[in-house]
Order: sequence, then structure tokens, then C-alpha cells
Amino acid sequence: MTDATTESHRALRVTRTGGVLCALGFVLIGWPSLFAAALGLELVAAAFWCWARAAEDRAEQLPRWAWLRRPASALWLAAGLHAVVRDTGLGVQPAFQTLPGVVARVEALAVLWGGLELMAALPLARPFSDRAGPLGATGPWLPVMLPAAGFLVLWRHAALWTDLPDVRTAALVLLLVTACLAALRAFGRRPWTASLRWLAVGDCALGGALVALRAVPADAALLLWLGACGGHALLLAGELGGAATRRGPRPHRLWRVAAWTALASLSWPVLSTLGFGPPDVANPAFALAAAAAVALAAWVSVGRLVEAPERRTMVRREAAVPLIQIGAVATLAAGPVALAIAWWSGFEPSWTDSLAALTPAIAGGWAAGIGGRRSLAERPTLAGLAPRVAARGRRARRAARAAFDSIVAFERRLVAVLGRIAFALIAPARDLHTGDAQEYLLFLAGVAVLALVLPLLR
Amino acid sequence: MNLFSHAALSHWLAAFDAASPLVISGSAAAGLLVTSLVLLGLERRAVRSPVAVAALAALAFAIAWCPVARPGWAPLAAGLVTAALARDRDDPLHAECSLKLLWVMGPALALSWAGLSLLTLATGTPIVIEQWAVLQLGLDPRFLWSTALPLALLAGLVLLGGAPFHFWVADVLQGVRPWLAAAAVVTLQSSGAAWLSSRLEGIGGFPAGRELVSDLLGIAAFAAFVAGAATLLVQRRPERRVGTLASLNGAIMLAALAAGRPPGPAALAAWSGHLALALGGAATVARFLPTFAGPAPGVPLFRRHPWTGIAGLYALASLAGVPGTPGAMLWLASAKALAAAGRTGLLLVLSAAWIAALTAAMRQWRQAFGVAAPAASVPLAGRVPLQARLALWIAACGLVALGALRLWRV
Repeated sequence: MTDATTESHRALRVTRTGGVLCALGFVLIGWPSLFAAALGLELVAAAFWCWARAAEDRAEQLPRWAWLRRPASALWLAAGLHAVVRDTGLGVQPAFQTLPGVVARVEALAVLWGGLELMAALPLARPFSDRAGPLGATGPWLPVMLPAAGFLVLWRHAALWTDLPDVRTAALVLLLVTACLAALRAFGRRPWTASLRWLAVGDCALGGALVALRAVPADAALLLWLGACGGHALLLAGELGGAATRRGPRPHRLWRVAAWTALASLSWPVLSTLGFGPPDVANPAFALAAAAAVALAAWVSVGRLVEAPERRTMVRREAAVPLIQIGAVATLAAGPVALAIAWWSGFEPSWTDSLAALTPAIAGGWAAGIGGRRSLAERPTLAGLAPRVAARGRRARRAARAAFDSIVAFERRLVAVLGRIAFALIAPARDLHTGDAQEYLLFLAGVAVLALVLPLLR
Repeated sequence: MNLFSHAALSHWLAAFDAASPLVISGSAAAGLLVTSLVLLGLERRAVRSPVAVAALAALAFAIAWCPVARPGWAPLAAGLVTAALARDRDDPLHAECSLKLLWVMGPALALSWAGLSLLTLATGTPIVIEQWAVLQLGLDPRFLWSTALPLALLAGLVLLGGAPFHFWVADVLQGVRPWLAAAAVVTLQSSGAAWLSSRLEGIGGFPAGRELVSDLLGIAAFAAFVAGAATLLVQRRPERRVGTLASLNGAIMLAALAAGRPPGPAALAAWSGHLALALGGAATVARFLPTFAGPAPGVPLFRRHPWTGIAGLYALASLAGVPGTPGAMLWLASAKALAAAGRTGLLLVLSAAWIAALTAAMRQWRQAFGVAAPAASVPLAGRVPLQARLALWIAACGLVALGALRLWRV
């Protein structure tokens, strides 16, 4: 067997191993147990490591995805604390000052950490969706799995963190900031594949906000998220498979409508609850932030999904019943079905609230539909506007990129400063230990004196 | 009766439960002894002497005896370890470790002896339970016993290897030859646990003393977890990582003691038995692991014998308390003891240290397998001795047996 054949076999084995790990990981993340979720995230991290260690550019890929163990660690922490408190029977919903109260908060924060970091909602690894994953042709699609895993963690273990109002509010703030940043980034990036990855991040953040708001039942929230994020994930998959989703006028139109419908369905309960919900939940500032994110995401979803010209002289037989279009129909149906379930369970906002909640999505989609360069160029009366709109669009994209970059740079600087402070605090302790035998005796003397002094100080 | 039927299995397990804790610690010590003897076979002829075998047997006996050991055993164990290390005059690292141990343990034992003498002087009896009863009468000045009691515990603290005394564990595991390192560390740590347990036996009868001890050991455990976790995350040498993990295992014993529930002989046997087997495997596999200096291809052990490597890493994972391993049950038991005692701060620090241990174990796992290198580009150099592989499997099988018979059933 030649070296090339051996290498290709090995690459196939690595791809399959990572795929199996990822699939198993997602099954476990969906399981109700925290230990299963932690193991699931560990397997997803292991899959990325498996792919990265075999990649051509492994020196870059390995450190790039090393952070994936952090969310898994956070989930292990939550699982461990849960096991300790649950098994000692110390109760539920305890006061903050008690041990179970503190543990419940730490547990909630750990679950939140795991979910939010995967959803790019923490400033530690926020820009991961900018880059492709560590696996050859499928690489650009892989990062979509991470916010999806984050959402599933938050959704599955919602009871642990949504019952604590302070934790829930903190989560809501982070998720809405992430939704805005993701929409900004999706708008600012020129490659459509990168924009789709960021749109998926935005969908997950809005989905997380929906879980935090508890506006609709859990199964409806899952279906709403599945429609929005799944639609963008399928679009990205189609994009990597020769832009199948937008080749031809009908598929193109179908996908535009489907993506917009899914996003509008997801945004409806979020915005109506944030804007017009109960007084303890409604927050105009949050509602405005969410509305801005939804409008921009709707604009990008619809406006950037341009029709690809069909260059093939003969369409392949298997393309006659394209599976990807079935995905579009599913995406189209998911949102309305989920809203019907929610309505059946008591989600009944007034007509005016609903209209107001749907306005950002409608505005974004409508502006993209009529304001796109192609649309303008197709209308003789507005054709003169096209160059000006294009120039403004370029400037707006540059501004969006600059805004996102400056925010991420600020966050990084902040994290670096905190890291340096922590290092400065630890440094004297490290300097204490030089490995010299004499210092061991000094340690002993110090501890002995401390042991004598501490009881006297009590 | 079918030997493998469910009833027969239950019968055997019940018989095992009823057996003395010495069976557990003895079996684990025997496992460590076999591992060490197998590794001794790798040494040069001058080292492979009956004296070395006798030293290992004596160390194994000290580990096996730990659940019922009296405080007087600890100086003997420390002396034995120091002598065994100092015996090889040609090995400067052995001499250095021996000197360091002598330097720190001699004074610690002397201070503790002074504390014990003070307590005996104050109460008029050397028997621990009687001492608490006498002190409970309140006839002695508080200053006297509150000075003597912490001093009496100092030797146990040093021997357990909790920070700031975690250095000796890492030093011994890095500097001492594989056949002796794990046995020496486990002997000393087990002696430390036995020292503290026997010193605190029946302290429930003297609430003021229990409170003082609980506070002091709580502070010691806190420092041990924080320093251990911080150290673990910056260490690059696998032997030192294993040493710090062993030190954290000492800290979980300290935490259990700080919770006000001195472990009984069975718990002590399970702890020391696990430490013996896990450290035996982890210290052996650490010799084949690279010092981290960036992504590199996997080491020969993991490229030639991946399953044997995994068996070695299983021991390391158990030491780190990776969920599913027997070691995780020990971490959980300590955490539950702290939760029951309402020690919130200590529980959270233990959790943080556990996460650091998990991180170190996963990091070690990844570094062991390294990056994938094309077959032609990196030659598969380096032999992995059969004895070392055998030692790794003995430790891993021993751990599985310990888990199945004791820890996973708790």
C-alpha cells in the first residue's frame, strides 16, 4: 500500500472517529443528566481535538480549539456539585446564605458558563465562528455545532438556572449582547459562509433568551430554535455542497422565505415578552437590543441569500428530489408549528403587541427584499440608486467590522488585564518555592508558628 | 453452587465486606509490591538485591498496616523511606530526596512529639480517648492544650503532603527511581493519614478540641487545595503532575478530617489502597510521558502499545478523580462530608481543585497521544520494557478490582 493510500485511510479514520464522538456527544448533551451533558461536551471537545491533531495546519488548529474543554469543565463542576448536594438531601430552592443556596448558585453559574461560552456569549473565545473548523472540506460547517451544543445545554438544564432571578438576568444580558454582536458580525463579514455561522450564533442567543424568559413551553422553544438555527445550518451545508440551496429561482425563493419565517417566529415571543410581558420580565432596553439584532439578522438572512446561476448544462438525476429543499420546507414549518404549540399552551399576546414584536423581522426582511442591489437593479425607476446603496453598504459593513473588532479587542484586553492581575497575585507564592532543602525547613517553621498563633487569635 | 452465579457473587462480596480493612489495604499493598518488584527488574544488577526486595516488602507492610497503625509507626515509616533512598550512594537524586525528607520530616516529627508530650503532661495519660475526657473536665488551661494539639497534628500534615508540603511528593516522584518512588510516597502519605486519624480518635467527646482541630485542618485543607490546583495547572513535567495529584489526594483526606468525621479503618484502607494502586500506575506511566513543550507526536508507549498506555492513564485519571474511576468516589465522599458539615468554602475549593485535577488529567491524556504524524516522517524509536507494561496493567486491574469490590459499591 502506498503512503498516499495509507494517509487517505488514516484521514478517513480520523474523520469517522471525530464524527462518532460528536454524534455521541450530542446524544449525551440532550440527555437530562448533568453528568451525561458534561461527558457529551467532553466528547465534542475530544472530536475537535481528534480532527485538529490530524489536520494539516495542526499547529494552529490545536490551540484554536483548546478552549472547548472549558465548557466541559464547567459542566463537570455543576454535575459534581449537584451530586454532592442532591445526595445529602439538603433540599431545593434554599436561601442564598446556606450551603445549598451557595451551591445552587455556583451550579447554575457553571451550567450557564458551559452553555454561554459555547454560544460565544463570554468574552473568552467569542470570535470562534470567524474561522473554519479543523476538518478539510466540512471544516467551515463544524463551528455551527458549538452554539447549538450551548443552546441544548441551556435548554435541557433550564430548571437549574432560570429559577434563580439574578442568574437569569445576567444570562439574558449576555445573550442579548451576543445576539447583537452576532448580527453585527454576520452583517460585517463578506463571505456568506462566515455570515451563516454568525447567524447561527445569533439564533442560539435568541433561543437562549427565549429559554431564560420562559415565554413559551420548553418543547416549543426547542422547535423555534431548531427552525432558525437548523435552517441556517442547512443553508451552510448547502453552501458547502455547491451552493445547492440557492441554485435556481425557486429553491432560492423558498429558502429566503423559510429562513425569514423561522427567524420571525423565534423573535416573536422574545420581543413580545421583553417589550410587553409581565413587569418583572419586560425591559424596554433589552427589547430594543433584541429588536436591533433581529432586524439586522433578518436583513442579512434575506438580503445576502442571492441566487446562484446554474452553470451546469445537465442537472444530475439525484438533484431532481433535492434533500436540501426538504430541509427548507421543514425550516418553514418549524416556526409556525412551534408557535401553534405555544399558543395552545397559553402564549396569547395581543394583536398590537404581536405586530410590534414582528416589526423588526418584517422591516429587516422587507428592506432586504426591496433594498438589495439586485432588486434595485431589476427596477428601472430605482436603478440609479443601486451604486449609492452599494457604496453605503460597503461603508456600513466596514463600520460593523470595526465595531465588532473594537469590542472584541476591548474584551480581550480586559481578560488579559485580569489574567495579569491573577498572575501577579500568584507570582510571590511561586517565588517562595525554589526547591532548596533549607526552605522546606523554613516552611515547616512557618506553619508551626501559624499553628500556634491561629488558636490564640480565635 | 455455581461460582459465578449472582448468589455466589453476593456471597463473596458480603464476605469481602465483612473482612477486616486490612484485607483491602493489604491487597492494594500487595499490588503495589508486585508492581515495584516488576519495575525493580529493570534496574542494574547492583540495585536488584535482597535488601531492595526487603525494603519494598517493609514499605508494603507499612501501607497494609496503615488502617490500624498507631502514631508510633509514622517515624518508623519515615525512617525506612529515608534509609531506602539514602542506600543508593551512586544516585545523587536519591540522596537529595533523602536529605530533603529528613530535613523536613525530622523536625516535624520532633515538634509533634513535643505536642504529644505536652498533652500527656497536661492530662496525665498517653491514651488519646482518655486525654479528651480529661480535657473536657476543663481543669487544664486552654492555652496549654490549644498549643499542644496543633503541634501534635503537624507531622500528619507534613506526611500527607498537602501544600505547602506538597513539594516533597513531586520531588520524590521526579527524582527517585520508579521501583521505589510510588511505594515511598504512598507509605509516607498513608502514615500521615494514620497519624491524624489515630490522634483524632474520639475527639467528638471534647467539643472545644474538635472545633479547634476542625478549623485548623480546614485551613490546611484550603491551602492544600488552592496551592495544589494552582500548581497543577502550571506544571509541565508529568512526574510532578502526578506528585501534585497525590498531594491533592492527601488534601481530600484532610478535608474529610476537617469535616469532623475522622475516617474509620475501612475508609482509611480504601483511601490508602486506592492511593497505592493509582500512584503505582500513574508514577510508572509518567516516566514514559513527555515534558510538554508544544504539540509533538505521541510517545512510543502510546504509539506501540496504546491500550497499555490507556491502562496507565486510567490510574492517573483515578488519582485525579475523573468521574467513573474509583478515585472519583473518594473525592465525592470528602465533598459529601464537607456538605454535611456545612463547610461551604472548603467544598467550593475542593470542587475547584477537582476541576483542576480533571483538566490536568485530560491535558496529560492529549499530550500522551500527541499530534498525528505521518508514518514516514517520525521514526518509531524507543523501546517500552515488558516489565513497565506489566506494572501498568497490574495497577489498572487492581484499581478496577478495588472499585468493583469497594468504592463503586458505596
